[in-house]
Amino acid sequence: MNRVLEDVIHKNVANTERITAENTVGYVVSDNASGSVAATSFDNTTAQGIVKHMNGLLVGLVQSAVRDLDPTNKLCYLRVASRKFEYLVAPEDMFTITVLQ
Amino acid sequence: MSAEVEEMLKRFSTMKNIVGIVVVDYDGIAIKSTLDNTMSVHYAAHMQLLTEKARQVILDLDATNEFTSMRIRTTYFEIILVPLEHYFIVVLQNPCD
Repeated sequence: MNRVLEDVIHKNVANTERITAENTVGYVVSDNASGSVAATSFDNTTAQGIVKHMNGLLVGLVQSAVRDLDPTNKLCYLRVASRKFEYLVAPEDMFTITVLQ
Repeated sequence: MSAEVEEMLKRFSTMKNIVGIVVVDYDGIAIKSTLDNTMSVHYAAHMQLLTEKARQVILDLDATNEFTSMRIRTTYFEIILVPLEHYFIVVLQNPCD
């Protein structure tokens, strides 16, 4: 699973450069199955914390709420805005991308 | 408070993409809604849970930060959740694309 993820990350390096060059604070790519950080522009402790809190708790909760309200519905992405910055979370099948801006 | 709510609802009724609005107070009771009752109560319950969790998550990640709003984009529509001081507002809208 991790091999696949690394390939995907490799192919998207251009995209990642673009994302980090624009008005973003940083990004985290995490693996869904293991909950571990695959790539990040932050230091590891921060990234782990983000993954654990955001991806683990919030995304799961939102997904179940969405499905509860309409079983055919599915979460596409999530934007959580706070005073300082905004988290953009995009869950996929294999992994989750989180960008802070 | 309800004067502001009325004014907001009036403003929203002119916007085309809006499917529904639910205003929920802190007890989780939908006080105003443009959807039918069962759906409103359903949304109110879920959104209350989500706001609490989201607030905790933001606070955990950075104690000086504060949760201001959340947008949940699903396949059919987009849910915008805004917590205010006495209540919170849930707006369902059709995304433009």
